[in-house]
Amino acid sequence: MSDQADITTEEILSPEGIERTIVDLAEQVEKVCAEGDCAFVGIFTRGVTLARRVAEVLKGKGIDCPVGTLDISLYRDDFDNHGSDLPSLESSDVPFALDGTRVILFDEVIYTGRTIRAALDGLMDYGRPSTIALAVLVDRGHRQLPIQPDYLGVRVETALNQYVKVRFREDDGKEGVFLVTDNE
Amino acid sequence: MRLFKNGRIAREETPDLLDADVLVDGDGMIFRVGPGIVAEEGVETVDCSGCILVPGMFDLHVHAREPGDEDKETIATCAEAARHGGVTGVVLMPDTSPPIDSGNLVKSVQDIVSETSSITMMQSGCLTRGREGKELAGFSGMVARGVPMLTDSGRSVSCANLLRRCMEYAKDFDVLVTSFCDTPSLTRLGVINEGEASYRLGLPGIPAVSQEIAIARDLCLARYTGVRLHVQQVSTRRGLNAIARAKEDGVAVTCEVSPHHLVLNENDVGDYDTSTKLDPPLQPSSDCEALVAGLADGSIDAIATNHSPHTEFEKSAEFASAPPGVAGLETGVLVLHDRFVRNGVFGWDVLIRSYSSRPREIVGLEPVSIREGKRAEFFVFDPEGETTITADYLRTKSPATPFLNQTLAGTIRETVFVLG
Amino acid sequence: MSDLRPRKDLLDIEGLSREEIEHVLDNAAPFKQLFQRSVKKVPTLRGKTVLNLFYEPSTRTSSSFEVAANRMSADVTNFTISASSVVKGESLLDTIETLQAMRSDYIVIRHQAAGVPGIVAKHTRASVINAGDGYHAHPTQALLDLMTFQEVFPDCAGRKIVIVGDILHSRVARSTSTLFHKLGTQVGVMGPSSLVPEGRHPFMKRLHDWNEVFDWKPDAVYMLRVQLERQEGHFFPGIPEYHRIYGMNADRIESMRRLGAYLMHPGPVNRGVEVTDEAMRYEKSLISTQVENGIAVRMAVLHWLKPQTDQN
Repeated sequence: MSDQADITTEEILSPEGIERTIVDLAEQVEKVCAEGDCAFVGIFTRGVTLARRVAEVLKGKGIDCPVGTLDISLYRDDFDNHGSDLPSLESSDVPFALDGTRVILFDEVIYTGRTIRAALDGLMDYGRPSTIALAVLVDRGHRQLPIQPDYLGVRVETALNQYVKVRFREDDGKEGVFLVTDNE
Repeated sequence: MRLFKNGRIAREETPDLLDADVLVDGDGMIFRVGPGIVAEEGVETVDCSGCILVPGMFDLHVHAREPGDEDKETIATCAEAARHGGVTGVVLMPDTSPPIDSGNLVKSVQDIVSETSSITMMQSGCLTRGREGKELAGFSGMVARGVPMLTDSGRSVSCANLLRRCMEYAKDFDVLVTSFCDTPSLTRLGVINEGEASYRLGLPGIPAVSQEIAIARDLCLARYTGVRLHVQQVSTRRGLNAIARAKEDGVAVTCEVSPHHLVLNENDVGDYDTSTKLDPPLQPSSDCEALVAGLADGSIDAIATNHSPHTEFEKSAEFASAPPGVAGLETGVLVLHDRFVRNGVFGWDVLIRSYSSRPREIVGLEPVSIREGKRAEFFVFDPEGETTITADYLRTKSPATPFLNQTLAGTIRETVFVLG
Repeated sequence: MSDLRPRKDLLDIEGLSREEIEHVLDNAAPFKQLFQRSVKKVPTLRGKTVLNLFYEPSTRTSSSFEVAANRMSADVTNFTISASSVVKGESLLDTIETLQAMRSDYIVIRHQAAGVPGIVAKHTRASVINAGDGYHAHPTQALLDLMTFQEVFPDCAGRKIVIVGDILHSRVARSTSTLFHKLGTQVGVMGPSSLVPEGRHPFMKRLHDWNEVFDWKPDAVYMLRVQLERQEGHFFPGIPEYHRIYGMNADRIESMRRLGAYLMHPGPVNRGVEVTDEAMRYEKSLISTQVENGIAVRMAVLHWLKPQTDQN
């Protein structure tokens, strides 16, 4: 537990917890992937890591699923509200044909659903998948759009002054899922 | 009667100031000059403690824009601006609409001057008909009306033979020929000095040789014809050197410089600021230094502002299209004091010599000084005051000046002059 | 910590920090990536208006900006004002008032007078992009040139580029050389003395002929377009002589090949003047890449600049 001014942080998934959840997610998607014509697309940044880890687990079971990456900055609906932030863009990489493919979108947290909506727009500008499903590590509730995960790791109830922080060693140098409360 | 008490008088002969009071009568004549004058009944006392009384300035190069461009300035507003700047006499340029190229046109301006001007204004005449550089204008009619000089103002007479004939003919009338020196084929599209600033700003440049070549040519012709020549708006060291050598050689030549070319250089053009777009253009700072030295040692005879009003609309155009020229009558003395007199680069004597006495001498007028029996023609200057140049401060109709929003050391409190 | 602040306008290269330059070029690559998709558009600027205001004719640059804006889903209006239709007295300020009333978000402006984009930027809330003002600047050209060069030479510090041709009148030379110099690339210039001014940027190293150019071993040679209209300024005796002395012909392409140097040109090329047909076939020509990168860079610039709104 760490405190900084009025912010409190609570660990809700340990590194082992993350590993178990990812194995669980892999089991959830296994059936669909085993049928073939399947592809994963991770949303930058940590959705990509999540997709890769799940793909790694499936590979151990002899199922090969290609992983693409998607930067959705250009599809967000809040372009004017960046304020003084200058977003850096990443190169999306979808190195497989989408037409006729069953795509599973990966993101580490789902909240309002707007990121996923942007991802759907972005993905469909690459081609026409036969189906798109959604796999998420943490669902923190408070949806503003009718979008729900098809494959879910954990559900966490959160208040509006809280947010879920996912940390992966590949991206952040440490592992864990934290619930952060802004007490101000 | 007015008693200007406790001030100090500036003079041409010496940089030292003379402690003295000055009593001016109701007709505008100086009744008495001396220390400790006591004000009698009915005499208004003007307290000039700390102030300097300076003989009125004379500007050889002023555009009043009347007739034809009264939007920019009129003779009346020009006179107001001049007084406001401590200038009590000017020579008006003939590049009006229509250009002043005949005796009748000279007279029509003189009529307006006598009706509306509060200072001395002499009208100059064109060298060539219509200022077109093709034929001689009618000199005799203009000289009969008392024009002090002939010039095509702002344009060089590009045909050397025609200029030669102008000079020969002018000699018969003993009238001063005044040249604006540039070489049109070199000036062409240029809008700024050709050099580092023109490259950085991506603007077409005018090489300095444009003026230098024309000065050299006009000096040769002046030597050859024996006419009295005055060179306007010298802007480079080389041009000045050529004039100085010609003087040594016995050529009857005089020259002028504007305060702008003394204190500003090509890098002051900054962000395409059209209030720094001048003709001739601002030069590198080494030329400014040479010109300041030339003024101090007398190689430059006169200060002349080339007061060139243009409307705000015109000056708001992009740099390449905006007309060159800025208002100068109200900032000349202030800038020269702020940059040079205050810092001891040169004294009041140099300023009076170059902006008051010598210019008058060049056009055949008596110099002005603050002496008993002379007409009162001076301004009261407070060296400890400050003047912020704003559009409100300026009396000219067209307040485009590179000194806008700058605060200059010194205040011109009042210009004392009643035309006889 | 980053000093990167949003900027309203892109007027020249001189005012850009290294951080800003790197930010724009880093973002240009993802935009370029989009061109391989079947849907080359993104909805980022949907509902925004981009006004292309061209006082000088230019199908190349204006269409590049138009494509860029279209691919961002912006609404584009093209406004070409030819010299004859600018009525004397219809001032720049009058035009600016009209522009303000149109409430564009972005104005891309090309004008024959240097400084005009700056004036427009001062008086409008729109983000103003200088698409070329007189001889002064062409910042998006410089950015796409650098992007192209960096794709081949990521380590541009210590590299060398020579710009050949009409340095005096070229806003491309000014902006591109300034940008390369900022990133540590050495810049040489070659051309007739009438077109290589003494007052040029001090870092532009003077090379006098092709031998000196190739002895200097540049990594790239950047050919400038020579305008045929320069004749009346008497800058050189004629096109055939210019081509013979300064043109990129087959022999010089051989030297390029031996050096492994790349060829660049801002376009449009004048075949038979500064380049030959052989030059255009040179295998290490980056000219078409420059065009492609131009669209990506212009998209990145549109993405980066922030017009003034009531809030800021």
